[in-house]
Amino acid sequence: MPDVTPWSSPAEKTWCPGCGNFGILNALKAALVAAKLEPSQVVVVGGIGQSGKVAQYLGANFLHGLHGRALPHALGVKLANPGLKVIAVGGDGDMYGEGGNHLLHAFRRNLDIVCLVHNNGVYGLTKGQAAPTSGPGFATKNRPMGTLVPAFNPLAAGLVMGGSFIARGFAGDLKHLTRLIGDALKHKGFGFIDILQPCVTFNHVNTFGWFRERVYDLALEGHDTSDEDAARARALEWPAETGDARIPLGILYRAWRAAYESCGQPGKPVVRLKSDLGVVKKALEDFE
Amino acid sequence: MSRDRQGRGLQVISRTLGRLLVRAGYHVFVSQDVMSRIRGGHNFARVRISTGPVAADGEKAEILVALDPALVVRHVADLAPDAVVLTDAAGGMPEGLNAVRLPLVDLAREHGRDAVMANAVAVGAALALVGLELTGLEDLFESQFAAKGGDVVRRNMAAAEAGHRAVVEDMKRCCPRKLAGAEPGDRLLISGAEAIALGAIAANVRVVTGYPMSPATPIVEYCFRHAREAGLIVEQTEDEISAANLAIGAAFAGARAMTCTAGGGFCLMNEALSLAGMTETPLVLCVGMRPGPGTGLATRTAQADLLFVIYAGHGEFPRAVLTPADAAQGFQAAQDAFRIAEKCQTPVIILFDQFMADALWTVERSELRVENRQERQVPEGVQPYGYRRYEVGEGGLSPMVLPGTPEQLVYADSDEHNEAGHITESAAMRVRMVDKRNAKTAGIRQEAEVKVEVEAKAKAEKETLVFCFGSSRGVVAEAVARLREKGRKVAMVHLHYIWPFPVEAVTALAAKGAKVVTVEQNYSGQLAQLLAQECGLRVAGTVRRYDGRQFSVAEVEAGLEQLTREVG
Repeated sequence: MPDVTPWSSPAEKTWCPGCGNFGILNALKAALVAAKLEPSQVVVVGGIGQSGKVAQYLGANFLHGLHGRALPHALGVKLANPGLKVIAVGGDGDMYGEGGNHLLHAFRRNLDIVCLVHNNGVYGLTKGQAAPTSGPGFATKNRPMGTLVPAFNPLAAGLVMGGSFIARGFAGDLKHLTRLIGDALKHKGFGFIDILQPCVTFNHVNTFGWFRERVYDLALEGHDTSDEDAARARALEWPAETGDARIPLGILYRAWRAAYESCGQPGKPVVRLKSDLGVVKKALEDFE
Repeated sequence: MSRDRQGRGLQVISRTLGRLLVRAGYHVFVSQDVMSRIRGGHNFARVRISTGPVAADGEKAEILVALDPALVVRHVADLAPDAVVLTDAAGGMPEGLNAVRLPLVDLAREHGRDAVMANAVAVGAALALVGLELTGLEDLFESQFAAKGGDVVRRNMAAAEAGHRAVVEDMKRCCPRKLAGAEPGDRLLISGAEAIALGAIAANVRVVTGYPMSPATPIVEYCFRHAREAGLIVEQTEDEISAANLAIGAAFAGARAMTCTAGGGFCLMNEALSLAGMTETPLVLCVGMRPGPGTGLATRTAQADLLFVIYAGHGEFPRAVLTPADAAQGFQAAQDAFRIAEKCQTPVIILFDQFMADALWTVERSELRVENRQERQVPEGVQPYGYRRYEVGEGGLSPMVLPGTPEQLVYADSDEHNEAGHITESAAMRVRMVDKRNAKTAGIRQEAEVKVEVEAKAKAEKETLVFCFGSSRGVVAEAVARLREKGRKVAMVHLHYIWPFPVEAVTALAAKGAKVVTVEQNYSGQLAQLLAQECGLRVAGTVRRYDGRQFSVAEVEAGLEQLTREVG
């Protein structure tokens, strides 16, 4: 097999058998193909962890960079060349821990990219420490008595920060997830999807079965995605203190506002601008 | 020397005065001394005027302009004998000085309809003191204030005329300091920061990022102001981490990208620097030095981050570090930085000091040369999906393709990778890639070797070689010139390409010289350490200063004389 292959990869997939990441990778690929995008038009920026390896395995352009920094990389790629479809992929540690500050500002900026967060409530690659989304009482090697603080609520944070597309998917419902990623790809703005991704090795609480008992599809309950108050109420349903909470899936909130890269930027992608010596000559006149 | 208590318009006053003098044919050097606060404090600018090139502050002030007489006392020690002190008529000041007391604020209110115009009154008065007319001043006010609209230009001009008139009427008592005649030339007055920004624009930069931090902020601000006409994307990010990584993303996508910060912000960028080394991404970083550790002296100068910048980032990867002395070198360094970054696909750091960035330098327009810019070389004839980002080529270099090229994919990988860019843990591939990346050092070093600059001719003579880098050049050059006039055998060697260290050129020079000393703005003698480590040289001594202020010519001269004596 050649080294470089569109929509596939010669690289050996190093995820655990049964890992939710396989399904997310397939859903992403299906959504991109359905959107009729060429792999050469797509750039995946991956964080570091098991989730970020989606960049390696998809078979599009990739910048597989640093833990927590996928969003700044995505911002750079998209601003330099808005013609590219940019997808930032990371885990809960990437996006909610190490890169939390970048995420808050990404909601504000409303860059036209898709952001997928594999949320498994645990750190996999470093072997089982608590994540920002680990529920209270979640026991780990570091904290055998359980996590001491409440879990981070990414959907509520996104709403408060002015996010324009806030959604949740589930690695156990790939048809739904594929559709959701398709909607995020179509959204002109920051398409954010928190994806429930059971970790079969380190998270024995939030399993596929555990999620199946609790998830429900917002679209089937008449949720109005333009209603910010309703979205907030849904966002606050989970994570919750009690174990019997229902977990909403689908688009919580969608609004239309100008995408960042179209605000006051040069009309042409800057990667295509040629040098212009006249600009320098003229600028020097200010110093006469 | 001009100063005020509020810091209001100090930069405007010194720049306007400076530009008028440059237009009149003089060489002007302006340095700023500013406190780290929003308003007020003790702020002043030094303006040195000469008929020949100047690149350092003068020793004693001939004229002190103080809007507030209460502040004159702080500068009595800086005054030349018989210096003229131009200050407001109201308020007490030390006795026994050659004072010109004018109602600066009253004249400002009367003619400019605003006390703030006292600046303009002072400009007019100062020009009268040096025997110049106000010809061309209105044009300068126009370029400074036109954006403010209304009658601001006219009111400033009226205020300046009132100040000028007041001095001329009182000329006898004023003891004017008439300037010698100057030869007109095609010269500009520009700050180091502006020159770096403009050099980057000349080098086709397209994405500029930063998080505000002195002394790098003026570079980003200049780019912000010129974003539209220069076709730039300028981003103030949430932090320095984002600033550096955004630039990496943009460079990966094919845009020339630069991020700007100070030593403290550069600490946060170390992870990104290392990533640029691993992914072989062309990245230019402007790093301004101010005294640390920690917050240190936020608005002052230092040269203490040299070793930090050279070794920053985990892992081993090549980088270039340029240390420009002044505006002309800053303009050139920005172009060189982009050329090297693009050619060698690696990070390049422009390491400057606060003094260099904030000072206004007189440069000949012909010194600001724009070199032919090389666009990214896209390899031709690559089979569909046959491009491999990390193919091992000559000198460790690989072809670069833009993401978005039809039927090609670009893989940039932070994990150790194979030639295609896929993650690998193969021991053999690891060795191959480490060798490939570090092989690029030789190419960068070649650039540095030819840039070692020796002021004065240190030929076969057994001279003391005075090594320095960054903005010390102007001061050291003047001190060395004075010592040579006294018959001392000294020569200055200024390094503006400092890493990879120009080992061959420096070793060859040192073999001819008698001994080696350094002049540097840090405690530990970082350049001396490099000379010992890289060239095995025994450095006989170091003239150091680390109080956050630039060296004076006299102290470097004295320091060098002492070192010459000590080591005999």
